[in-house]
Amino acid sequence: MFIAMKPHATEADFEAVVERVKSLGLTPHPIAGTERRVVAVVGNTGSVDPDDFAMMAGVAEALRVSQPFKLVSREVKDEDTVLDVGGVRVGGKGIVVMAGPCSVESEEQILATAVAVKKAGASFLRGGAYKPRTSPYEFQGLREEGLKLLALARERTGLKVITEVMSTETVPLVAEYADVLQVGARNMQNYALLERLGQVKNPVMLKRGLSGTIREWLMAAEYIVAKGNPNVMLCERGIRTFETMTRNTLDINAIPVVKTLSHLPVIVDPSHGIGLRKHVPAIARAAVAAGADGVIIEVHPKPEKALSDGHQSLDFAEFEELMRQVRVIALAIGRPVM
Amino acid sequence: MLVVMKPNASQDEVDAVVAKVRSLGLVPHAIPGAQRVAIGITGNKGALDPALFEGLPGVRDAIRVSQPFKLVSREVKAEDTVIDVGGVFIGGPRVAVIAGPCSVESEEQLLEAAQAVKRSGATFLRGGAYKPRTSPYEFQGLGEEGLKLLALARERTGLKVVTEAMDAETLQMVAEYADVVQIGARNMQNYSLLKQLGRIQKPVLLKRGPSATVREFLMAAEYVVAHGNLRVALCERGIRTFETATRNTLDLNAVPLLKSLTHLPVVVDPSHGIGLRAFVPAMARAGVAAGADGLIVEVHPCPEKALSDGQQSLTPAEFAGLMDQVKVIAGAVGRPF
Repeated sequence: MFIAMKPHATEADFEAVVERVKSLGLTPHPIAGTERRVVAVVGNTGSVDPDDFAMMAGVAEALRVSQPFKLVSREVKDEDTVLDVGGVRVGGKGIVVMAGPCSVESEEQILATAVAVKKAGASFLRGGAYKPRTSPYEFQGLREEGLKLLALARERTGLKVITEVMSTETVPLVAEYADVLQVGARNMQNYALLERLGQVKNPVMLKRGLSGTIREWLMAAEYIVAKGNPNVMLCERGIRTFETMTRNTLDINAIPVVKTLSHLPVIVDPSHGIGLRKHVPAIARAAVAAGADGVIIEVHPKPEKALSDGHQSLDFAEFEELMRQVRVIALAIGRPVM
Repeated sequence: MLVVMKPNASQDEVDAVVAKVRSLGLVPHAIPGAQRVAIGITGNKGALDPALFEGLPGVRDAIRVSQPFKLVSREVKAEDTVIDVGGVFIGGPRVAVIAGPCSVESEEQLLEAAQAVKRSGATFLRGGAYKPRTSPYEFQGLGEEGLKLLALARERTGLKVVTEAMDAETLQMVAEYADVVQIGARNMQNYSLLKQLGRIQKPVLLKRGPSATVREFLMAAEYVVAHGNLRVALCERGIRTFETATRNTLDLNAVPLLKSLTHLPVVVDPSHGIGLRAFVPAMARAGVAAGADGLIVEVHPCPEKALSDGQQSLTPAEFAGLMDQVKVIAGAVGRPF
């Protein structure tokens, strides 16, 4: 259920609504908006009559939310959520570009990549320090050493850092170094991790699970928001289908669908979405044309020598060319690249 | 195997290669190109020895084709195939737009749709006269009556007609009326129909099956080309996945992938690809941004009254809006529209 306040409602009116929600044993989530304030109510609201709230002072309307996801739904918050990541806005008019290697491998590798992607126009540096590899025998990441290298790269370039957190135990450590915490596709339904991320201050980028439906994905985002962290962005990175020529099938349909169902920003990962280096730019263009708020691209100084994902990583020149193509599409639909 | 002739090879030299192929009990396919002639060879069991052809006069090269699809492969023909449909093209720089109702329902409906899509800049009219409906109790199409209405709409508007043929029995009749014969997703692996299509003189729009891999899709196109019809356009229209929020999952990965594997034009169907009217323009933009050579879009004068696919059909006004958006994207990727 959500309760929308009238534009001129007083603080006392608002507090009264919040208290009433609490007195019913339910959880109020105040949602700030430029037009009006809303209190979303979660918990077992089945026995509550919205009309009881609708009659309170300062209340414009009280309605049930028809979708199973509530706080992330457009029904509760009509305006797009814009996340401010240290001055870089994600989800606004501008399109953000995140780029960097799959894994942080060495100081030399991460600094060279950071400088190159910054020069080409990216505003975020990606790079994994904790890597969820399919095989336990493959490179698992540099862990805290990798986080330190990411922080060093941020210091040198001013790029914001996005990196993956794989377990609840490492959340505080990763949150200390990262600007944005990434939840990988394999952890989309790791509910303990999602709940833990509800308690951090950093924005979270939630990747869609390999076989997560749009509804399941939004329900996963709801976990983080319901536990107290409204700063969530979603990332479409391809789903598992019968097709074998591509690593995944990027579900571009999901972009306009999710943008309609949810107010959260949607980022697209064409690198994992198709998994073939030479086709990454075409798919990045398509994502931006479909309405994505940003793209996240794997870039490596020497893709053929990368410890992971080399076959889908661009070299610096290829990334520059991708940026040029993305800018042209962004411009065509009236969105600047940040 | 592909035998590539020298640019200055004479017709006699080409004929000699063709005769040699036939003498081996194999099938030659002449593949015209702007620079040179090539001869694709099919019908061999196992690999052929390039030495059989390399020594012949006028031959530059004899190359084994590594892909299982041969004649549709870029290895055999590097240049894009451009299909000339009576002066309007599918493939080449310009993005082709095919639009119209799912089914031909009446003269009034079809003419209204045709005039509207023509006004907005479409050059092809789509409309089904034979409809492969999931339920046998639903509207199955007007049959020949529908084909006649399509011909009438062509006469009135100058639009070229794209319509589906469902079986070998009606193929000849459909081909008589249509400018382009469409093969629906459910028939992508109807091999007897594909073979028949090789023998008609009309271009073919081959839709991808709902659970067909890109390789299977290209093998299906190979059937048509191997049986003699080189004018095939491919259509990505969404695949079957676990997602239920959309009718299908439009596989736009397939667009750059197909464009690199084959010389055939690639058309995208955002209407079936997402199945929800509100999102068709976004997916049309994405299709063109990914490199599609054309779009096929369902448009109905009154979608809520459509006998089929109303939930994914655009009104004429919505289609005009889509065309404005697509024009901008086409411009951005350097393609006239």
